[in-house]
Amino acid sequence: MSQNRWLATGNFFTSYRQEQRIFLTHLDRLIFICLLVVLFVWPLCVEVSNKQMLVIDNILIAIVAILGLNILTGFAGLISIGHAAFVGVGAYTVASFSRVLGDSHLLLTHGWPLMILAAGLIGTIMGAFVGLPAFRLKHLYLAIATLSFQMIFQWTINFMTFFNQGQTISVGRVSWFTGQIGRNDHYLFWYYVTLSIVILFSFAVRNLLRTRYGRCLVAVRDNDRAADAMGIHPGFTKVYAFALSGFFAGVAGALHAYLWRGVGYESFTLHQSISYLAMAIVGGLGTLIGSFFGPAAMIMLDLQVENLSQVIGKFLTVTMDLATAFRPLTFGLVIVLFLMFEPRGIANWWRIARSYVKLWPFRY
Amino acid sequence: MTNVYSFQKEHSNQAFIAGINIFGLIAYVKGYMADLIIKNVTLSFGGLNALSRVNMQIQTARITSIIGPNGAGKTSLLNCISGFYIPSSGHIYYGEHKITRSSPHTVSSLGIARSFQNLELFRGMSVQDNLLLARHKNLRYNFLQAVFYFGKASRIEAENRGYVEKIIDFMELEPYRKKIVGSLSYGIQKRVEVARALTLGPELLLLDEPMAGMNIEEKEDMVRYILDINNEWNITVVLVEHDLGVVMDISDYVYVLDFGLVIGAGVPREVSSDPRVIEAYIGED
Repeated sequence: MSQNRWLATGNFFTSYRQEQRIFLTHLDRLIFICLLVVLFVWPLCVEVSNKQMLVIDNILIAIVAILGLNILTGFAGLISIGHAAFVGVGAYTVASFSRVLGDSHLLLTHGWPLMILAAGLIGTIMGAFVGLPAFRLKHLYLAIATLSFQMIFQWTINFMTFFNQGQTISVGRVSWFTGQIGRNDHYLFWYYVTLSIVILFSFAVRNLLRTRYGRCLVAVRDNDRAADAMGIHPGFTKVYAFALSGFFAGVAGALHAYLWRGVGYESFTLHQSISYLAMAIVGGLGTLIGSFFGPAAMIMLDLQVENLSQVIGKFLTVTMDLATAFRPLTFGLVIVLFLMFEPRGIANWWRIARSYVKLWPFRY
Repeated sequence: MTNVYSFQKEHSNQAFIAGINIFGLIAYVKGYMADLIIKNVTLSFGGLNALSRVNMQIQTARITSIIGPNGAGKTSLLNCISGFYIPSSGHIYYGEHKITRSSPHTVSSLGIARSFQNLELFRGMSVQDNLLLARHKNLRYNFLQAVFYFGKASRIEAENRGYVEKIIDFMELEPYRKKIVGSLSYGIQKRVEVARALTLGPELLLLDEPMAGMNIEEKEDMVRYILDINNEWNITVVLVEHDLGVVMDISDYVYVLDFGLVIGAGVPREVSSDPRVIEAYIGED
């Protein structure tokens, strides 16, 4: 029996292990590897300013956070309006170490992978803790529980002197094998770190989804009564979803702290939580690929609206600061339009485009 | 068939006597592992008694049917067994386990699987994924192995897929393997429902009206599956069904419920000639 593993046609499986591969054809795998190579190589070939790199880094960090939110809201069907607070928990874990040990302590500058992991773990613990009401509550009531966490988080940060009452707590420059990462390499360095984490986490989520630890999430979302009868504890599964999502958010928070070299409370407000939710919806809830499209689309949109309002401001000098008016407007409009016309998000466009290309030049 | 009846009767007496002495009961239960014993179960919703003092003994490797008019409490009884309802009083034993107050996931891990009357499938998933999900408890690998999908996780998942394929083959669901469940016809969805319960690898299968709303051919198929499940896989079947023809043909033992009371029990032939059963179904002259 000869197999052609390059094309989808004539590619048949002789074992279940083959069927469960992530990349069903060599072509898929090749394209993916090419994409990875491009992602790693392009900053070396193209001249990028620090400002542009900062935007890209921000998108990547948002992707890490959205991967977590997608697990929680997309796969497990639990709406969270407190995701920014979870990201904040991660960021403030790093900030706490900085407060206690000083911002240039060896643990912070050389042990940054450890710090990122620690932030993730604290995020996991907080996630599980906030998820506890899931044993009793469902749907919107649970969403309100997450909202209350957001409020408590903001309040705590604003009033505790330990957290500098929400003022920026600085985090020192990190070191790599080549020595301290200077001002010019800072953004490039964190681009590579965040990109590696995004790739690692995406594969982790992809793997989870083909095992019992991912399937149980979807089961609880679709029908928790039936899930119960199938031997899945719905309460534990929901808490587990919160914990997992907390881990991703914690890691994203630590990355945020390191990238901005400081932590301030404005980055983790309710507004940011809703932005995260919008990113997840625009990207496509319950899809892995949507976690990449959503943040990219929303952050780019935000940037373009700012540019556009500056251009318009030149012609209409009478009006006040247009950006302040335009940003919430477009933000709201995009969410509403997506919910109305493409509730499955950009991921659905991707799916359609993919199937079109695969069948080309045949229509069916 | 009469000896089945006498066997049942003899043992239900024994259960009654043993019930007086708690040690005797334990000894009794241990002697007949994996029988499902329902003792004096009452379930009330406010002032309404959905079940009142129901006693049943469901024996291993047989097909026991529970019949009765609408609202007789058949589904309530299944819900009590599978842990969705907690009886107001009375006890349910499965083998040596007391499952009266167990939650559904505990009950299912003891080897009691059920299908639902009003399809409770994971509608957004494919048939294959629905069945894979039912294996949740039987997959033994840890979280880290799952995250990296190496070693045990990938091996067990492949085995698991093989197991699911066996069920798909048995229930003749091959054409629908990759179809989204929500898009399938009612009859097929019912079959997926039974298949999913079977995938749990149960010792006792509770089927809640698996033939409701089916045409005659689909019913015949379903009867064949149920008989095969019982004969080939040696699984105890508890069947709740409205189609009396089917029930009388395939059951080893029949319980009749009416207004939450057991009004008749016996082999099908006896039950169908029991005046109280006829009265419940057809009404008085």
